[in-house]
Amino acid sequence: MHDRLDISMRANHVFFWILVIVALVFAAFASFSGDVFYLRLATEALILGGLALSIDILLGFTGLLSLGQALYFGIGAYVSALVLREEPSFWLAMGAAGVSVLLAGIAGGLIANRVRGVYFALITFGMAQVVAKVVYNSRELGASDGLIGIPVIEIPLGLITLSAGDPLGFFLLTLVIIALLYSVSAYLLGTPFGRIIIALKANEKRVPYLGYSTWAARMAAYVLAAVIAGLAGALYPMLRGFVSPELLFFATSGDALIMVIVGGAGTLAGAIWGAVILTMLKSVIGSWTEHHLIVIGLIFMSAILFMPKGIVGMLKPFVERNLLRNSARQPKPEPERTAL
Amino acid sequence: MPDLISYLQFVLAPQMLNGLALGVSVILVALGLTIIFGLLDVINMSHGEFYAVGAFGALALSALGFNYWVLIALVPILMIPIGVLTERFLIRRVYDGGDRHVSTLLLTFGLGMIAEDLLKIVFGPNTHRPENPLPGATEVLGVFIPTYRLFLIAIGAVVIVAVALVVYRTRLGAMVRAAAFDRNMAASLGVRVGWVYSGAFAFGVALAGLAGVLLAPIYSVFPTMGHDFILMAFTVVIVGGMGSIWGAVIAGVLLTQIQAISSLVISPVWADPIVFGVMVLVLMFRPQGIFGRIGHA
Amino acid sequence: MTDIMQVEGLCIAFGGLKAVDGVSFTAERNKITTVIGPNGAGKTTLFNLISGALKPSGGRVIIKGKDVTGKGPAALQEAGLARSFQITNLFFEMTVRENLRLAAQRLEPVRQALLPLRRHGRAADKVTALIERFGFAEKAHEIVAALSHGEQRRLEIAMCLASEPQVLMLDEPTQGMSHGDTEDTAQLIRSLTDEVTILLIEHDIGLVMSLSDHVVVMHQGRKLAEGIPAEVRADSAVQAAYFGHG
Repeated sequence: MHDRLDISMRANHVFFWILVIVALVFAAFASFSGDVFYLRLATEALILGGLALSIDILLGFTGLLSLGQALYFGIGAYVSALVLREEPSFWLAMGAAGVSVLLAGIAGGLIANRVRGVYFALITFGMAQVVAKVVYNSRELGASDGLIGIPVIEIPLGLITLSAGDPLGFFLLTLVIIALLYSVSAYLLGTPFGRIIIALKANEKRVPYLGYSTWAARMAAYVLAAVIAGLAGALYPMLRGFVSPELLFFATSGDALIMVIVGGAGTLAGAIWGAVILTMLKSVIGSWTEHHLIVIGLIFMSAILFMPKGIVGMLKPFVERNLLRNSARQPKPEPERTAL
Repeated sequence: MPDLISYLQFVLAPQMLNGLALGVSVILVALGLTIIFGLLDVINMSHGEFYAVGAFGALALSALGFNYWVLIALVPILMIPIGVLTERFLIRRVYDGGDRHVSTLLLTFGLGMIAEDLLKIVFGPNTHRPENPLPGATEVLGVFIPTYRLFLIAIGAVVIVAVALVVYRTRLGAMVRAAAFDRNMAASLGVRVGWVYSGAFAFGVALAGLAGVLLAPIYSVFPTMGHDFILMAFTVVIVGGMGSIWGAVIAGVLLTQIQAISSLVISPVWADPIVFGVMVLVLMFRPQGIFGRIGHA
Repeated sequence: MTDIMQVEGLCIAFGGLKAVDGVSFTAERNKITTVIGPNGAGKTTLFNLISGALKPSGGRVIIKGKDVTGKGPAALQEAGLARSFQITNLFFEMTVRENLRLAAQRLEPVRQALLPLRRHGRAADKVTALIERFGFAEKAHEIVAALSHGEQRRLEIAMCLASEPQVLMLDEPTQGMSHGDTEDTAQLIRSLTDEVTILLIEHDIGLVMSLSDHVVVMHQGRKLAEGIPAEVRADSAVQAAYFGHG
């Protein structure tokens, strides 16, 4: 027998693997048909999936609703863009973005973690809006136009070198990076550190009596989420060749939040599924009406009202039951339940 | 020395008066927000859209020939059923689903998206400039100030005082505050809590609509007009103490004056960060805001 | 040294009301010290002051010779103190095992906090032992919310023991329990004195008298009397203030 939390995480992995398989099948089809548009769109979906993942770590595990996670996504994207304009190096851009969001996450965490609940939601909202406005008004950062003309970079990956301009190659690279971010998150949530994070959501008041500082735990989760959002954001200018202040605006944070809720909060894989589903949906709806907000809004509200656990959250119990049955069938190393 | 006096008279004073007009506007928007939070524990993310609906409502009705002064009363009344229906059929359904703050916040966020797009469908994405009902300027201390701004400050003050009187001084207000303080106790005292909730939400929505009518002649009307105000309104609500009316008033005046005066010295771009900085400082040293909740004196 | 914990003149006031007013006592190693007193006497507030939930405005708390006054709950846990709550305070959506696992992971060095759970043998052994000892073998994978009240109260005690504290503070551990459960719990508490020093708040006077080594009586925030159960019972001031009112 395993802990429920372990079973739950393994069920998340099942959904993540399905996503990877779907992505690979899609990539195979797309490269056969010579498609560029949908490969690019799918890459963007995965990048946004990284942002959604970071929101889910906070909302689904730590119990913190961040309304401004796009702040770190945007900082990652801008730093990456600034580096790439000077020096078209993939690793340098990722490294610089990572360090920047780490510092920004600590600074933001020091402010936001002074408060709880709705105040936390509103202060994260405010922080992102203020930084977005400053960026929007800074000529050095391209003001409302953003930074354009990011060169297409060559990415040396040991044996092979990949071009960010190659839709298939960059899609696969993004898939690998998102898979890494997912794995690191899932791994950390399965450690004693992760259990404390989860305990914060379950009953924050009890945590100090386990011998842990709730502030430090919350801070760690917040910074982790910031770094994940920032690393995902760093990929954005490589894909699109530009960054704009919209990346920092509430619309971006809000969209990612919708992805998490629709996909299923507290499931990690659901966040990325939500990103894929929503991005595709937007593109499809966008082809027949410019009023995609109303459709997305309706889907979002229906999810909250009728499917609060999201798609993955709703399907997960079936997978969990299977996993439980399998693990029960395996020979037990220790006769734990002989007392019966 | 004459330089200083003329600086005060021709630069600082008008700026402060403009700041006051902005302050009253922000307070009008924040009033509904703070009442809904104070009484229902709901962060209404669609509040900015209700404000836009009020402004568009005024625009549409005045195109039908309604007089502007009638609209000031009519639009808020028309907003009431919208508020009641929203509370009864949407928000109420997620009160008890997990964390009420999160679920209601998300729901109203979705609602705001839909409302914004509906406005775009009905009225188009363009900016409308309604006719100013009080054109011209009035001389105040040797400086000409747009008459409508002066009117806005005056009527805003009246509305704020009236709302505060209703909430703090009437039997109705007492019932509502009782329901906010302790739902079960209020129910056992014969307060119909369900209707109090609907009524309080509708009241907040009507105030958003009223703000929309009053501010439309100054800030022009477009589907995303709520976005511009909502951050400031949230800041005011937090600094004032979530759910406190007097807190919102003081915070609204204070923050907009800080903004107005600081933009004389530094680029207005930095006014937002300064206002936000004040909010952070308040949260650090007085997380409950300057004043406490409505029901929790 | 047989004194493991000293409380000296602890005070706190809420808006002019002195909830705890200069309370001092000493808890002896591996003994059961019980705090009793009528409702509102300040017992739970005293517990909150000792366990770091509240900062005292005066007085000192000394554990194993170290002054820990005003330290937060996390630091006090480090100092070897664990407490349970009057109102059951657990991770209700987690299983019994997961709850105990959380409480036991303090046994492992902090630098291993980022290693997978299965690498933490000591904590896992502790959890297994506690599940056995507290009779949770059948329910180890049940969600805590699904347990009976008595089981939840028992789990509270098990949670406190998981970090191997030296001082265990139990706030009305038998609150709301049936008579049979209360008996079992009393026996359990008695059996714990081999490993820990116990500080107890308890309402059931019969239980207090049979279980305690030392009794501290509180009344209106002050210490009224202390001593072995028989002495306290005979004290006329205690009789007037406490037993007299039932």
